[in-house]
Formats: sequence, C-alpha cells, structure tokens
Amino acid sequence: MRIERELMRGAGPVTVLRLLKQREMYGYELVEALSRRTDGVLAMGQSTLYPLLYSLEAKGLLKSHWQEAPSGRRRKYYGVTPKGVHFLRAQQSQWRRLVAAMTGLGLLDARRSEA
Amino acid sequence: MGATRLDALEIEHRARTRGLPPDAAAAIARVLGAARLEEARRNEVFEELVTHFEDGLAAGRSAEELALDFGRADFTPPSPTPVPLPHRGYRPMSRLLPDVRYATRRLIASPGFTLIAVLSLALGIGATTAVFSLVNAVIFRRSPIRAVEEVTDVYESSADFGYNAFDYPDFREFERGTSRVFSQLAATRYAFAQVMRDGVASRAEGELVTGSYFPLTGIRPALGRLLGPEDDVSPGGHPVVVLSDGYWRRAFGGAPSVLGRAIEMNGRAYTIVGVVSAEYQGNLRGMVPDFYAPMMMVNHLNPVDDDQLQSRGYHSLFVKARLRPGTTVVMAAAAAAGVAAELRKIVPDQWKSGNSFKLIPTRQVILHPSVDQVLYPVAGLLFTVVGLVLLVVCANLASFLLARAVDRRKEIAVRLALGATRGSLVAQLLAETLLLGVLGGVGGLGVAALVARILTTADLPLPIPITLELGLDARALLFATVVSVAAGILFGLMPALRASNPHLATTLRDESAGGGGRGRLALRHALVVAQVAVSLVLLVGAGLFLRSLQSVRAVDPGFGREPAGLMDVSFPPTRYAAGRLLPAERELAARLRELPGVTAVGMIDNLPLTLVNTQNTDVNTPGAQPPVGREGFDADLAVVDTGFFAAAGIRLLQGREFTPADADSAPRVIIVNEALAKRLWPGQEALGKHITRSSDRDYQVVGVVATTKIRSIGEDPRSGIYLPLAQVRSSSVWYLARTSGDADRLTNAMVRATQSMDPEIISVDVRTMARHLDVVRLPIRLAALMIGALAALAVVLAGIGLYGTVRYSVAQRTREVGIRMALGADSRAMVRLLTGGGLRLVVWGGAVGLLAAMLLARLVGGLLFGVPALDPLTFFGVPLFLFAVAGIAAWLPARRVSRVAPTEALRADG
Repeated sequence: MRIERELMRGAGPVTVLRLLKQREMYGYELVEALSRRTDGVLAMGQSTLYPLLYSLEAKGLLKSHWQEAPSGRRRKYYGVTPKGVHFLRAQQSQWRRLVAAMTGLGLLDARRSEA
Repeated sequence: MGATRLDALEIEHRARTRGLPPDAAAAIARVLGAARLEEARRNEVFEELVTHFEDGLAAGRSAEELALDFGRADFTPPSPTPVPLPHRGYRPMSRLLPDVRYATRRLIASPGFTLIAVLSLALGIGATTAVFSLVNAVIFRRSPIRAVEEVTDVYESSADFGYNAFDYPDFREFERGTSRVFSQLAATRYAFAQVMRDGVASRAEGELVTGSYFPLTGIRPALGRLLGPEDDVSPGGHPVVVLSDGYWRRAFGGAPSVLGRAIEMNGRAYTIVGVVSAEYQGNLRGMVPDFYAPMMMVNHLNPVDDDQLQSRGYHSLFVKARLRPGTTVVMAAAAAAGVAAELRKIVPDQWKSGNSFKLIPTRQVILHPSVDQVLYPVAGLLFTVVGLVLLVVCANLASFLLARAVDRRKEIAVRLALGATRGSLVAQLLAETLLLGVLGGVGGLGVAALVARILTTADLPLPIPITLELGLDARALLFATVVSVAAGILFGLMPALRASNPHLATTLRDESAGGGGRGRLALRHALVVAQVAVSLVLLVGAGLFLRSLQSVRAVDPGFGREPAGLMDVSFPPTRYAAGRLLPAERELAARLRELPGVTAVGMIDNLPLTLVNTQNTDVNTPGAQPPVGREGFDADLAVVDTGFFAAAGIRLLQGREFTPADADSAPRVIIVNEALAKRLWPGQEALGKHITRSSDRDYQVVGVVATTKIRSIGEDPRSGIYLPLAQVRSSSVWYLARTSGDADRLTNAMVRATQSMDPEIISVDVRTMARHLDVVRLPIRLAALMIGALAALAVVLAGIGLYGTVRYSVAQRTREVGIRMALGADSRAMVRLLTGGGLRLVVWGGAVGLLAAMLLARLVGGLLFGVPALDPLTFFGVPLFLFAVAGIAAWLPARRVSRVAPTEALRADG
C-alpha cells in the first residue's frame, strides 16, 4: 500500500533523513532501503526521491560526494549534515506530538499499533 | 566544454552508449529532457541516474521494472546545490566563507591526513618559533641605550685576557686621558648584597654604577630618580639605591611609597631613591639586577680585604664611553693607546708591554666579546638545525598535498566537468591548505609556548643566575607558518593543479588508465630525497653531540668523585676583622663537620671549574727560565685549609698536606700540582724546592698533589699552586662537605648551620658537587638535547613522508603488481620490488645528506668535545639507523599490496 502524495510530502524528508543518518547511501541503495525497511509503505517513486534528495541538499540538510566502489563504479553518496540532524530531531518531536494527538482522538488504536 | 544543450534524444543516445537498455535510457531522457537544468547540473544528474539504473540492473531487476518504478510525472529538481565548487568566474570575498566551511568538512572527513599534517606543521612551526625567540632574546635584543651608535665598550687587553674588565684606578686614569674624545665615560660592575627585611635574610643581585652611568645610557626612571654624579663622590658616603622594576614589584608589591624608605643591605640602611624603567634589564643580558647602587659603595657592598677604589688588580668594571660629536673610533683608539703607554710607565707591574685597550662598538657586543665568539656559532647552529627541520616540514606538507591532490584527480575532474572554473577550484583547494596552515600555526604557538616554558623554567645548573625575558616572537611564528604553507602550495598544490586537465574526456581517460603523472611522482621522490638528506644531517649532528656528551662524562675532573655539598660563604669584614676571621671560618668548618653524614670538610677560596672566577699568578724558581716574553710561569692559585684535599678527594702524591702548624707566623709553605712540578723541576724532586711569587715572597714546597681540571673540563693539565688559608687571609671561601648521605639534603643543613652561627654571615651560593660539575657539561648537554630532539622530529617526519610516498606509489602500481603476480611472481619478490623503490630514494637522500653532514660537521667541530668532526662511529651508525627506519617506513605499505589477490589487483583501475 502506498501513502497518498500529500501525506508523503510530510513523511518523505523525515524518512530519508532517518535512513541516511544511520549511514551514507547512494540513490539506488536508498530506494531499496526505503522499500525494505518500511514494508513498501514509504517506498517512493524515484522521480520523487531524487528531486527530494536534491531539495534536501539545497537546504543544507544533506551532503553528497562521489565515491568509487572497489568495482570501479562511481556513485553519489548522500549523508546527513549536522543541520539535517537538527532538523530531523525537530521533525521527530512534531511527529511524536501528532501521533499522540491522533491517538488521543481515537484515530489510532494504540494496542493494534503495538502489536 | 561543449555548451550546447542535449535534448531528450541526445540524452537517450548518451545513456545507450553507456550500456543502458532502451527502457532505462528512455526513462532518463524523459525526465532530464523535460527538466529545466543548467548544463553542468544536468550532467551530474545524468551521471547519477545512469548509476541508479546500473545498480538496479546489477541487483537483478529488469529494465522495464526499473523504468516503471522510476515514474514519469513530477521530476522537477530544484536549483543547483550550494556546494561551493561549481561556481563560475568571479568570486567575491563573500564566497570565502562557504569555501572555508567546505574545507573544514573535507579535513574532518579525512582525520588521519589532517592530524598528521597539522601535527607536523605544529611541531615544525613551534620549534622554529621557540628557537628564534630564544636567539632573539639573547642576541637580537634592541639596546635600551640612547643613541647607541655613539657608544663603545672598552676592555683591557693582555696576553692572558683578550677582553678584561677594568680596575677602578685604571678607569680613573682612562677617564682623565680620554676626555677629549669621549663626552661621557661610565663603568658598572656586578655585586650582590644580603638584604634583611623583617628579620629575614635574602640575597639580592645588583650593579654598582659610576655617577655617569645612567646619564650616559639615557635610561629613565619609572619612579623617583636614578643615580647621578652627585651620588658618586665620596667613598662609602652614598647609601642610596635604585631598584629594578622586577625587584620593586616582587619585593615591594610595586608600591610607589618605597621612595625614601630604607632597605638594609649588608647590615647598613640604604635609602631607596628610585625605580628604573622596566625596559632596562641591566648591563649583562640574561642577568637582571635587583638593585643599582653607587660605585663609591663598592667596599661595603662587595667587601674584600683591600680598598678597591685605590688598589689595582680588582678587574671587574665594565666600561662604556660615548664619543664626542665629530670624533671617530680611530681617534678614540689613539687616545686610549696614549693612556696605555702612560700606564705602562706608571704601573709596569700590571701594565706589561703587550697590554692595551680595546674599543668595540656597544652594538656589536652581545654578552662579552670572548663569550660572543662562541655565541654566534651556537646561534648559527641552532638556526641551521631549526631551518632544516622547517625544511622537512615543508617537504612533508608539500608531499601530503601533492598526494592528496593526485588522489582527488577524479573529484577535480568531475568538478571541472560540472562547470567549476579553475579559479574556483584553486580557491577551494587553497582554502583547505590555508586552513591547515592556520591550524598548524595555532598548534605551533602551543608547542612554542611549551618549549619556551621549559627553557625559562628549567632548573639548569648555571654558574650565575640567569633570567631570560623570553617573549614568543610573533614575527617568527608568522614567518614559520607562512613559509611552510607557501612551500606546501608551491610544491604540492600547484603542480597537481597545473596537471589537472580541464577537458573531461581526456581526464577520464587518463584516470581510467591509472597513470600517476610522471612529473608529480618525480617531484614527490625529490621531496623524499630532500627529507632523508636533511634528517641525516640532523641525526649526524645529534650523534656528534651525544658522543661529545659521552666524552665529557668520561673525563675525570680530578676532584669531587664523592657526593658533597658546596657552600660559598662571605664573612662581613666589619664583624670579622683580621684576628677574628680565621677562627670564625674554622668554627663554621667544625659545625659543618658535625652535621649527620658528613665525613670530611674543607675550605678553598677559589673552587675549580666555577667558570666565572679564576685567579692566576706568575711563579718562579731558581734555575728555571720562564717562557719567552713572560716574567714567570703562569699558575692558577687557590688558598685552602688543612682539610681541603681530603674533602675534595684530591690525591697527595708526595710530601704532606697543610697542617695547623702552617700558621701565619710559621715559614711560608706551598703545595704544587703535578703539572707545575713537572714543568719547574722535570725529573727532579719537587719537595723542599723554593718558589717565588710576584718577586716578593719565598715559599717552600711541602707537597705535590694530583692535577685537577681548573678552568674547563677539556683543558690540558694546568699548573696550579695551593697556599694555606692560615697564611693568606680570605673573607670569602667555599666550604666543601663530603657526605656519605644525600648531598641535596646536606646543602640545606649547611645553610642552616651557617645562619645559626651568625645570621650576618652570607651564604652566597649553595649547590651539590654533582650540580657543580654539571655546569661544565651543560653546553654540550643542551646541544645534544636540543639537536637530538629536533633530529628525532625530523626523522619521524621523514619517515611519515617516505611511508606516504611508498604507499602512494604502491597504490599506483596495484595493476602492475596484479599482472606480475598473475604471471607467477611470488609475493615476497613483490614486497622487495616495492620496498626497493622506496629505499632507492633513501640511498640517494642518504648520499646527499652524508656529504652535507661532512661539510657541516667541520663547521661545528669547535663546539664538540673529545670527538673528531668526522667521527667514524657517528658517520657509520647514523646512516645505518636511518636506513633501518626508512626500511620499515617503506616496507609497511609495500607489504599491503602483496596481500591483494591478483584478480582484485587487476580490476583496480588506479
């Protein structure tokens, strides 16, 4: 199941930053990770992902560099800047508050999400 | 680069030529063709997307699937990212900040490189700055004297002393005879006083100055007034004193109320009339006085058994003269020669035919002309050594930067391809280098401060207390930093940049070929050769001084083998007049003998190897002809008590020591050392022979003792005579207390014993025998220590440089290694091949260094001790050691490549 575009607009940057905070990744690797780590829920079309990466980089939340693999293939790796880490932290707390509020409204069933 | 826009078709074609299937190529073309992007930006995105599909295909997914996943709708990338490189053309200063920020990130990204580069820079810059500041503090200090170019130092010159100080009668004679050529003539001499404040005795160092001294120098008071001619009129009649700025702050808390107060010096109240400005640090560099008092007080502040204002022979006055306007040094020298001729007539005993005055412009004198002769070579040596270390640092940084720039060829190529101008690229790399330089400079400041702190606070066994105002020299720091960074840019960055090809295609081709660029490699090799050469020179220097130290330690001074405490004691003549002095001296000896652990106590008026105090005299004996041009045999003279030889451990070879029977009323007796006995009576019995001294007294030889070192540890055996203390009064003697226990603890007990006998007896100086003997070894020890430390630094740096170079060339040759190993070369042979390449550089550097070391060793030959300048052990051992270190530095990286599997090595493309 895919998430609606409007929702993805908010969730996308946080998801990408979260994954890249763990380690640097190149584009395809990130695509795979998004799909695998979120059971496909947060998988996004690469035509969304790459522009998102560029936009985060332009905002200084991500940094990138070209690196050569032992195989000789050159890839562009992305990593989170300190500013990105800061941003991610701020977003996380907002998400937490949002989830708490929605749970309070009964929109989210706490027990089921725990299960 | 081509500036035409690629449309969708072109993009698709390009993607196809990169080996992508039609579906994937079409997907890329679709999104890129529609997006409004700058050419450079589009190239980068293109590269990334191609990689994306390659990755997907490599992961086993089909092109259709990948294209579907890729989507087609809203591919609307934003404007280019703010990475500072891909800017075109003119970059205002406001772009500097991003450059620096980016450079910081790059440096943090490779902490190993950054750490080594900054550390080696910091050590080199720090060492250079510290040494320069030290030499600066001693040698290049600006004279505080007003119009110093008009001022000249004057010395008395004789066969024994090239540059002797004046005695007071000579000074007066000189003043009278030269008033036509000198507008002002002044003298100053060293003295110390026992200061009593609130019942506590302390020692203060001072200078006694003639009334003309401060007017001549033009020094200003910080408070009150200085001394003038009115303070220097009647002997003993001017108990006034001026304090130095430092003493005023230390002892009186810098209170202005000290003016008019009395300070008790040597038992008499002196009125404080002023404080001298802080810029004046005394006449002798490194010896900052606590006080200045009138020369007329010399008999009170520096009591001896004569009136020093009347008697000849007390040569302690340093004389300065200011030339009258229009007078030349030649005219002044002529006038001085006239005075010398006059003196030869008046006092022929003191003024021999060869005696004269020497005039040396004050600006040319550092400490003292005879000391300066050693000081200049030492300073030169230090500068050379530090310069060489800086050279190694420069070479290292250049080597690092070169390697790094070469490693970043691809990055540079990509950036150029993406539209970065050469200018922006240079600015970026420059920012990184400058950042390294700033970090190195800051680190260097820390290192220099640390070294300066060690130098100024080190408890060195110096013959006189020395204070160095060792401010760190900002110019030196800046100079060292700029030089090393400039060298880094010149030799490291520029060649790399010049070689970086702005044409994308050729660079990529060059890159995939794995070529290193011969020019750059050659430069790196040259840098390693230079480093090895410099390291070898420094190591040889350190080796020579270490060997000197070894020789110095091996020399037996002939006394003081057993631990002992030494104490220089002055009995105030006011309290201990003629009849009371000797009993008091003996009583103190008896008290010292009772201290725990003390096994023997002796007294001597002139301790051997003090370096600052020597007495010599002419002796004659019937039947022996003095050397040509001399009126007697030159012999060093010391006055000793009955216990001295036993306490000092000087062997009695013949006859007897002095006994209590050698009293003032008894016949005059003398003990000679073996060297004099052999000179005066070769092959004869010395005992019972007679010696005359200064054409008056006659002494009978009662004993012969072993020859000790007297003036320096390296001297040939010097003639020496000993007279009994009971027959020659001396109010200032050294006590030597031999102990079976701890000498350090004993010295404290000796001072306490002295004070408990009479608080007015002054303990001028206290030290252990071990420390006393260390004084003579100090110059060599310092040299060995400093050069050794710097050489160690250079070797480490050179080792790092070599390691880096070999590692780099190994990386360059990975493919070659793979082929060779695939063809059956064994891995040990590969290591040998690669290590050998590095060691060839070492051999070259070693050869160059050895030649340079041979040349330089001759220059420092005069500073060595007991070691030939071309010491075989050093010149054989040092290269061997360096070769071993270099071997390890080259072998470590070479070993790595032989472990690489051939297949992997073959795949590597550079």
